[in-house]
Amino acid sequence: MKMNLWRTFVTRFWKIAGSVNVRTKIMGIVLGGTLLLSLGLTYQVHHALTRIMEKELLARGVSIGRDLAARSTDPILVNDLYALNQLLLETQKNNSDVRYAFVLDPDGEVLAHTFGGGFPPGLIELNRVEPEGYQNTVSIETPEGLVWDVAVPVFDGRAGIARVGISTQSVQRVLLDLTSHVLLTTVAVLGLSLLAATFLTFILTRPILELVEAARAVGQGDFSRRVRRWANDEIGDLAEAFNQMAIELERADEVRRERELLRRQLLERVIDAQEEERRRIARELHDSTSQNLTSLMVGLRSLEDACEVPQVHCQTQELRQVVGQVLEDVHNLAVELRPAVLDDLGLSAALERLAQEWQKRHRIQADVVVHLGGERLPNPMETALYRIVQEALTNVARHAQARQVSVLIDRRQKEIVAVIEDDGRGFDLERVHRDGHLGLLGIRERAELLGGSLTIETGTGEGTSLFIRLPVPHPITTEIRESVIR
Amino acid sequence: MSRFTVVLLLAALLAACASQPALPAAGFVDLNNLQPLPTPAEQDVRPLRVAIAAVISPQGSAESYAPLLDYLSDKLNRPVERVQRRTYAEVNELLRTGEVDLAFVCTSSYLLGKREFGLELLAAPQVNGETTYRARLIVPAESTANSIEDLRGKVFAFTDPDSFTGRVYPTYLLGQLGEAPDGFFARTFFTYSHDDAIRAVAEGVADGASVDSLVLDFALKRQPDLAGRLRVVHISPPFGMPPVVINPDSRPQLRAELEGILLEMHTDPDGLAALQALDYDRFVRVSDDDYRSAEEVESQVILYESNP
Repeated sequence: MKMNLWRTFVTRFWKIAGSVNVRTKIMGIVLGGTLLLSLGLTYQVHHALTRIMEKELLARGVSIGRDLAARSTDPILVNDLYALNQLLLETQKNNSDVRYAFVLDPDGEVLAHTFGGGFPPGLIELNRVEPEGYQNTVSIETPEGLVWDVAVPVFDGRAGIARVGISTQSVQRVLLDLTSHVLLTTVAVLGLSLLAATFLTFILTRPILELVEAARAVGQGDFSRRVRRWANDEIGDLAEAFNQMAIELERADEVRRERELLRRQLLERVIDAQEEERRRIARELHDSTSQNLTSLMVGLRSLEDACEVPQVHCQTQELRQVVGQVLEDVHNLAVELRPAVLDDLGLSAALERLAQEWQKRHRIQADVVVHLGGERLPNPMETALYRIVQEALTNVARHAQARQVSVLIDRRQKEIVAVIEDDGRGFDLERVHRDGHLGLLGIRERAELLGGSLTIETGTGEGTSLFIRLPVPHPITTEIRESVIR
Repeated sequence: MSRFTVVLLLAALLAACASQPALPAAGFVDLNNLQPLPTPAEQDVRPLRVAIAAVISPQGSAESYAPLLDYLSDKLNRPVERVQRRTYAEVNELLRTGEVDLAFVCTSSYLLGKREFGLELLAAPQVNGETTYRARLIVPAESTANSIEDLRGKVFAFTDPDSFTGRVYPTYLLGQLGEAPDGFFARTFFTYSHDDAIRAVAEGVADGASVDSLVLDFALKRQPDLAGRLRVVHISPPFGMPPVVINPDSRPQLRAELEGILLEMHTDPDGLAALQALDYDRFVRVSDDDYRSAEEVESQVILYESNP
């Protein structure tokens, strides 16, 4: 139970101590320390002084009592009550701490006292002393504070007992005075400590806050940030270490950038070369192979017309059909490699043609909407978008089991957005990411090469949407050139 | 902070905590609530009131007479109350009004009391086999005076106005020289007890004093160093010992009882011890004849004083 309470306390303390900032903590340490020290000192001083003063007061009280007893012996013995009374009054007058004094005869009757008109009932019985005793002191509670009653036997008790009441008020006053002074000093010191602590925390937290800001900047990629070394202490070392880290990061970032640039350049070149090669092959197929096949076809027809032998006729016809088929295949191959329509009529027409062909081949409905505002995009961008849509459609045909695909290319203010959506079975994005699907990787690669991005939204049974964003720099071509050169 | 410092701090704290002056708390009293003091309860048995004239200082008297009073109380089976007064005259007044039953008085006090209200002798102590005592004129050891004549123009300490040895006898000596104390001495003062007069001379406060020989012997026995500081320059002829007197109105039975106790007490070990505390051998019966010489001196002094 106790353990639990303690644990709760510790937990709560950490929660509070942990949630305040360093500034408050330092203030807390300084103020807490000052306060504890002051209170401890006050307590100690108060305690020690109380002890000393009370001891001294007690000694004085006993001495006054003894003196009074000695001096009252003769007046008591000779029954000089007037002298006795004078003696008591004198004793009270000469000692400000004496609250009262009175003398009892051996039978306990009051012989003389300093109270004037009457006598407080119950006072006589509160203290007694043996005739052979030296003195006896008791503490009496009164409405005006504690009063120490000293009883001293007079003439070994044969003449009675002298009683003196010593008021502790003066001691209390001095103690109160002292305590209030110490506490006032404490408040003043606390004020000064507060100023000192404020200054100290400023000195301490300024470099830390600077470090935090710099760390944030570095986190966001600004590796050029450096912090000042304010002081030659641990925080100074931290600043140094931070700066060293920033330098290392900057260097590493530079290397990474260079590599990235090289990789991009390489990729771009590869893609360019690939496109060029495809274009060349497509042209070759179109210009040379198709021409030759057409010539072959014409030749075969001539042969068919010229030869009346039905067997030859028949065979020639078959051959012509084969050639016709090859011609179509070659044409398709050429289109697939590099549709001339993309170079000649632009992206919109090329994509529509692609969709038609694809729809025909795979029997999946494909809608293509292209909004480019009648302008043609730069060549690399058109190629990239065309290849992206082509790859996406290939994926749909291969994996999606979709019934419908829609392709939207839209030009926005500063970017081109391409959305390819199907109603197929979708897939587990995590798994595909892990396995590294080449098709999707290719799409991303192409998008990123142009400074764009790919976002995939899918899930098993939910269809798949690919969002591709490509920035449209002005003028696009120059920008890309520059980035490549940089 | 090292462990040592922590221990030191804790020790200091503990030391500070364990040090209240432990005064027992007796209770509560409102010192401003003043009520009239209750009148003392009447005592069931009326104590025998015994007055002691201030031959020696009040404390000295109380101390030395305590065993005797205790003895009396024991024998009478009745409380005995000691009554002391600063002057002989006050004691005589108490005897006159019957406020005390018994009194140890000075020779001249007795003579005065006898004359004024018929004070009666009961007994007198016998000291060193004698029932007489003398006055001794003392001066400081370094004084050049050899008689009372040499003290002209000096400071003289009287004991009590009614003291025989302390005032009456020195006044008598001066009267024989045709002098009176006021003109003869530069200054006189009363000490109201013989031991204070001795001390006044020993300390040089007075240049001379006449004291009771018994008191002087008693004082020298107690304080042997006094002997070196005093010198006796004159010894008087013997006079009747300061007596024990009784109120003339006392019941005869009490008087007889007291007389019997006093005269026989030296035969009782307790009584003897009480006598020894006063340096007395015993109490003896005395008559007015024993005080004749003193009476003559006193009447001479009265004569001197009435015809300066």
